[in-house]
Amino acid sequence: MLRLVAGRIVSSIGTLLFVGLALFALTRSGPGSPARIVLGADATAEQIVQFEQAHGLDRPFLSQYAAWLGDVVRGDFGKSFVTGRNVATDIVSALPVTLSIVLFAFAIALVCGVGIGVLAALRPGGAFDRVSRFAAVLGLSIPAFWLGIVLIRFLAVDLRLLPPGGYFPLSAGLSLHLQSILMPSLSLAVYYIAVLARMTQASLQETLRGDYVRTARAMGLSSRQVVFYALVNALPPVINLAALSFGYMFGWALIIEQVFNIPGLSRALLNAISQRDFLLLQGIVFLFTAIFVFANLGADLINRVLDPRQRAAA
Amino acid sequence: MSGLAKTLCGLDWSGWLGAGIVGLILLAAIFAPLIAPYDPLGLDIEDRLAAPDMKHWLGTDQGGRDVLSRILFGARASLSVGIGAVLIGALIGVSAGVFAAYKGGLGEQIVMRVVDGVASIPLLVWAIAIVGILGVGPLPVGSLLLPNEVKIVVLVGCLFSPVFARVTYAVAKRIAGADYVRARFLQGASHWQIVIGDVLPNCLSPIIVQGTLLVAIGIVIEASISFVGLGVQPPQPSWGTMLSDARSAIYSGEWWLPAFPGLAISLTVIGFNLLGDAVRDLFDPRSDARTLVA
Repeated sequence: MLRLVAGRIVSSIGTLLFVGLALFALTRSGPGSPARIVLGADATAEQIVQFEQAHGLDRPFLSQYAAWLGDVVRGDFGKSFVTGRNVATDIVSALPVTLSIVLFAFAIALVCGVGIGVLAALRPGGAFDRVSRFAAVLGLSIPAFWLGIVLIRFLAVDLRLLPPGGYFPLSAGLSLHLQSILMPSLSLAVYYIAVLARMTQASLQETLRGDYVRTARAMGLSSRQVVFYALVNALPPVINLAALSFGYMFGWALIIEQVFNIPGLSRALLNAISQRDFLLLQGIVFLFTAIFVFANLGADLINRVLDPRQRAAA
Repeated sequence: MSGLAKTLCGLDWSGWLGAGIVGLILLAAIFAPLIAPYDPLGLDIEDRLAAPDMKHWLGTDQGGRDVLSRILFGARASLSVGIGAVLIGALIGVSAGVFAAYKGGLGEQIVMRVVDGVASIPLLVWAIAIVGILGVGPLPVGSLLLPNEVKIVVLVGCLFSPVFARVTYAVAKRIAGADYVRARFLQGASHWQIVIGDVLPNCLSPIIVQGTLLVAIGIVIEASISFVGLGVQPPQPSWGTMLSDARSAIYSGEWWLPAFPGLAISLTVIGFNLLGDAVRDLFDPRSDARTLVA
């Protein structure tokens, strides 16, 4: 068991290093070298050589990557050539904003998605099942950022229930904080509610058809107990999908933050793009990729704990 | 082809609805220059922000441009990015999957590890960042200037490829090890004949299903990238940029500006999702658990 877990962790880290290398190569493939961008078009060749030496840009590509990775592990994402600020500082100041929206959206998606899926699976073909299937197709098809625009129009402009945009940190009070992230999180969550509800419904319905469920019923277990045991067995694919969802949510959060004018990592990333701030961009994208990889690793490990067969196989 | 025709006959009502929506939007995109009532780029200061009426069915925008015409032309950007990315992803993914399954050994290990690597990339974040790095200007290839969308198509296509590689690999692995395929080899069939005659036809149905569902995801991604200004460049019409331009109208009350492009995206995505779900139910009713997410 321990060896299997360790192997899975090592392979995740290997994947992240490999993907990080691709990112590192891509960020350097754009037009213009960092030195040209910072020093301007009329910098002399000598100035450029000096700049590249000072920032280690003249070293071999792989050794630059290794050095950067070594710093990242220690929480140092480098110092931006453009702004002169520490990239880590910029990320740390914007991350809580994005994180609070994503976490809230993830909680909504998990509770509503799994809840709807379970209710739908209990009576296949019933009214709730049919309505939820139809709603799921709608939920899958409405782009989050358009939903955000529609919500602003109805909830903020027409009904004046919620602020149309902006962000209040938790330190400004829980009520203000929740009010400012409710609409963004809801717009982000709807697609994932649909995805998770479909998966839960399909997986649980499949499990409930199993022979052991009939045996359990015949033994006189209450239907609540039966559904509970079936749900535990139906969960692994849902957990995998939830982890994928969590990782992907950060991408859509970038768009949602633009809609609601929220100063999260989206603003930092788009600034990095417009100022050609390679290190900041690289840091943000690497962070999102790491979250994605480790969320999937976490789901795998949870499933190993949940499933005795996988434990025994180790 | 007879298999495909038979499939279409077996579609349920939601599948037909999806096929109908997809067909209509495809026609609208192809024949946009013929059916659009106005020039999608044509400014008309006299007719700015006109509400929908008989002259402009879906109203006009801040520059007096006809919203209906822009939506019809915008369908071209959405569909070409969505479908183009799926074709590129399928080409790369199917080749990789067949190669790994048929070849085996070290080649299989390397290819499938790379597939795992690409699959662990959060799609939208990378798409935004890489297009941002490369710049939104047109891409010079020889004497041609390719629009920014080409970058998005190739990028999203590469990021879609693991989906195809994995379904193809799973099927091809099973087929390549089957007794009848070994018998075919002993009869003197070449590797190419086996791959094209036996392996690929068996992979076709999951590829079609995943491809249809991925077009829907590709369309939303194109709209999102255009929404943040890194996709289709103004003044060219795209549903994402139209929504981005419509943000101020949320407050000033020109409801048709955000409403119609958003409805166009949703309707198109519903069409592809309904069609993809229905085709999957036909081919393999038990595969419901393989849900795609982005």
